[in-house]
Amino acid sequence: MLMIVPLSSLKPGERGIVVNLQGGPGFRNRVLGMGIAPGAVVQVVEAYNPGPMVISVSGTRFAVGRGMASRILVRKL
Amino acid sequence: MAMKVVALAGNPNVGKTTVFNSLTGMRQHVGNWPGVTVEKKEGVFEYKGEKFLVVDLPGTYSLTAHSIDELVARNFLLNGNPDVVVNVVDATSLLRNLLLTMEIFEMGLKNVVIALNKIDLAEKKGIRIDPLKMSKALGVPVVAMSAKEGIGIEELKDKIYEMAQGRIKTNPVVPRYDPEVEREIEHITNSLKGTKLERRYPLRWLAIKLLQRDDEVMKLVLRHIGEERLREIMTHIGEAEARYGRAMDLIIASQKYEFIDRLTHEFMSYVGKEKESLTDQLDRILIHPVYGFIALAMVFYAVFKFIFALGLPLQEWLDGLFASFGEWLAPQIANETLRGLLVDGIIGGVGSVLSFFPLVFLLFFALSILEDVGYMARVAALMEGIMRKFGLPGKSVIPLVLGLGCNVPAVMATRTLEDERERLVTMLVSPFIPCSARLSVISFLAGAFFGSNHSIVALSVYLIAILVALLSAWLVGRFVVKGEESPFVIELPEYLIPSWKTVVTHSWERSKEFVKKAGTIILLGAIAIWYLSNYPVEIGSGKSYAEKLGYLFEPYMRLMGLDWKAAVSLLFGIIAKENVISTYGVIYGTTEAIKNAMTPLQAYVLAVVTTLYIPCIATIGAIRAESNWKWALFTTAYMIAVASIVGILIWHAGVALGLA
Ligand SMILES: Nc1nc2c(ncn2[C@@H]2O[C@H](COP(=O)(O)OP(=O)(O)OP(=O)(O)O)[C@@H](O)[C@H]2O)c(=O)[nH]1
Ligand SMILES: [Mg+2]
Repeated sequence: MLMIVPLSSLKPGERGIVVNLQGGPGFRNRVLGMGIAPGAVVQVVEAYNPGPMVISVSGTRFAVGRGMASRILVRKL
Repeated sequence: MAMKVVALAGNPNVGKTTVFNSLTGMRQHVGNWPGVTVEKKEGVFEYKGEKFLVVDLPGTYSLTAHSIDELVARNFLLNGNPDVVVNVVDATSLLRNLLLTMEIFEMGLKNVVIALNKIDLAEKKGIRIDPLKMSKALGVPVVAMSAKEGIGIEELKDKIYEMAQGRIKTNPVVPRYDPEVEREIEHITNSLKGTKLERRYPLRWLAIKLLQRDDEVMKLVLRHIGEERLREIMTHIGEAEARYGRAMDLIIASQKYEFIDRLTHEFMSYVGKEKESLTDQLDRILIHPVYGFIALAMVFYAVFKFIFALGLPLQEWLDGLFASFGEWLAPQIANETLRGLLVDGIIGGVGSVLSFFPLVFLLFFALSILEDVGYMARVAALMEGIMRKFGLPGKSVIPLVLGLGCNVPAVMATRTLEDERERLVTMLVSPFIPCSARLSVISFLAGAFFGSNHSIVALSVYLIAILVALLSAWLVGRFVVKGEESPFVIELPEYLIPSWKTVVTHSWERSKEFVKKAGTIILLGAIAIWYLSNYPVEIGSGKSYAEKLGYLFEPYMRLMGLDWKAAVSLLFGIIAKENVISTYGVIYGTTEAIKNAMTPLQAYVLAVVTTLYIPCIATIGAIRAESNWKWALFTTAYMIAVASIVGILIWHAGVALGLA
C-alpha cells in the first residue's frame, strides 16, 4: 500500500516524495516555486515542537511551519 | 545612443546584488538572507566602449506574483524590455533555481545569460557542474562564477556585450508537457490569437499562467477578451482538471520538475556523499526551541555589550574634544552673536550628536555581521511561534531587527512579507523599534543620569520599546487590520564567514547617513533652536521664542513630569530624533548643566517618550509611500497616544516609588 501522509508526520531523517499540496492557488504557487513540487524528494532534517520543521529539498534547507507542513502530502520512502 | 539594458534576475539570496556590485562598482546592500533587495536598483558599467545600464531586481522564487518584490521583478522582465537578462542561479541548489529559468524561457525571453554563481560553495559540497554541457542543454550561454571572490565577472561582461551586439544565437529549451496539458495550452492560445495580447506577450506563457490561475494574468486577459470568453477558458481548464483529478498548476509543476531533473543529469553530478554540514550542526542549536532562545538572548546581549563597551569611551572622548574645541574657539570670536551661534548653537548642538557616531557605527557593524553570517533567517524561524502570539509572522522579525539600525529600510523590508495584512501590521509597528538615532538619545540620557548603570538602563528602554511594538501588533492586528495568518516558510541559507570588506563598507555606508544628517538637518535644527532660545530675549527671561513655544505644551508635558524644554526638544525631534539631544545641548550648553536640571526619573521618562512618541519625518514618508496617508497618520497618532500613556504611567509609578 502507498503510504501517503502529511509531511508534518515525518520524523527527522525520514524522506518522502511530494504527491500533493492541499491549499488554494496562492499557497500552492508559493510552495511550488520553492521547488516543493510533486515528484520532489523532501527530507526532514529536524522537527521541533513547538517550533518549525527544517526540511531539505534539492540541496536547499527551509524552515516550514507546522500548518504548512501538514498541507504538503508525501509518499513516505 | 541609448544604453543597453541588462536585467539581473533570479531566486532570492543567489548573489544577484553581489554580481551587480562587482559589475558596476556600486555598494548596494548584500546580505545572507532571502529578500535583501526589495526594489529595483540601477547602475552602469562600461565594456569595450559600450555602456550598459544594469538593473538589480528583487529575488523571486517564481514569476507568479505573491508579494510586491516579486511583482517588481516580473513586471520588469515583462515590460522593461531588457536587452539582456542575466539569470543568476545558485550552483548549490540548481534544480530549484532552474524552475525560474524555465519560467523566464517560457516568457519568451531569448537574450538570456546564465550566471552560475557560488561555484566555490558547490565544489565544497561535492557538486560538479560542467558549464559547457549545461549551456548546450539549456540553449543559452552559461558563465561559471563566484561573485563573492570576483571570479567570472569579466567573462560575464563579455557574454553580455556579445549578446547585446546580437552575436550570440540562443535557443532556450522549454519544457514540453503531457499531450493533455499541451492540448489545453493550445486551446487557450487559440482563444487569445488575434487579440492585442498577442503582440505584447508570448501566448504560450499567458496560457500556462492561466492554467496556474495566476491572478494578475487573469485580470490582464479579462481586460482584453472579456468576462465571457475568460469564463469559457477557465471552465475548459476545470474540465481537464476533473479528468486528471488534480489541479493544473500541480501537474505543470511536477512535469516541469521532472523535465529539469532529467536535464540536470546531462551536466551535473555529485562526488562524495553528503555528510552533516556545519550549517546543520549550528541550526540544531540556533533553531532549537530552548537552546535557540538562549543563543538569541546571548547574541543580542553580546551585540549590546559590544556597542557600549567599545562605543562609550569613544563617545566621551569625542564629546570632550568638541567641548575643548568650543572653549578654544570662543575667545577667538569677537562678535558676540556669531560666537553664540558657533559655539553654543553649532558646536554645542551638532557636536553633541556627532559624538555618538562611534556607537552608531558599531551598531551597524554588529547588524551587518548578523546579516552576513546568515543568522537573520534563523531568528525568523525561531521566533515564528512567539511572533504568532502577537499576530505577526516569524519573518516580520527581519524588518524589525533591521529597524534597530534605521526604521526607513525596515519599512521597505516589509515588502518581502507575502500577506498584505501582515505586512501592513509589521510596517505600522516598526517605528517603535529604537533606531540608531534613538540609540544616541537613550545613551546620552542614560550616560548623563545613570552613570555605571548606563547599559542596564538603556537596555530597559529597548525592552519597553520592543514590548510596546509587539503589544501594538497584537492590538492593531486584532482590532484594526483583521485577517487570517499566512503559512510560514523561509529558506535557511548556508552560514558564511562574513567578508570584512563587505561588513565594513556596508556599516560605513549606512552610518555615513548619520554624519550627513548631522551636517544638514541637525545643523539647521541647532541653528533654529539657538535662534529661538536667544531671541527676542535670551532664554531664562521667559520671553524667548523657545520658552513661549514650550509653554504651550508644558501643561501636557507636566502629566509625565516633564517641562517646556522637553516639549521643545521633542518638537524638534520630529524632524530627526537626534535633535532631542542637540536641543538640550544648545539650551544648556554642558552635560553638567543638564544633569542639574532634571532628576534621573525625568530623564528616564524623556528617554522612553523620545523612543516611542512619533516616527521621524523620513519614516512617516516611507510608510506613506508603502501604504497610504491614512496609515501614515494612523501610526503617528497611535504612537503619540502610546508614548503619552507610557510616559504618564512611568512618571507616576516612579513618583509612587519615591524616585522623583
Ligand atoms: N560562497 C559564496 N557566497 C556568495 C557568492 N555570491 C554571493 N554570495 C553570498 O550570498 C549571499 C547573498 O548575496 P546577495 O548578493 O545579497 O543575493 P541576492 O541575490 O541579491 O539576494 P536578494 O536581494 O535577497 O534576492 C551573501 O551573503 C553573499 O556574500 C559566491 O559566489 N560564493
Ligand atoms: Mg539583492
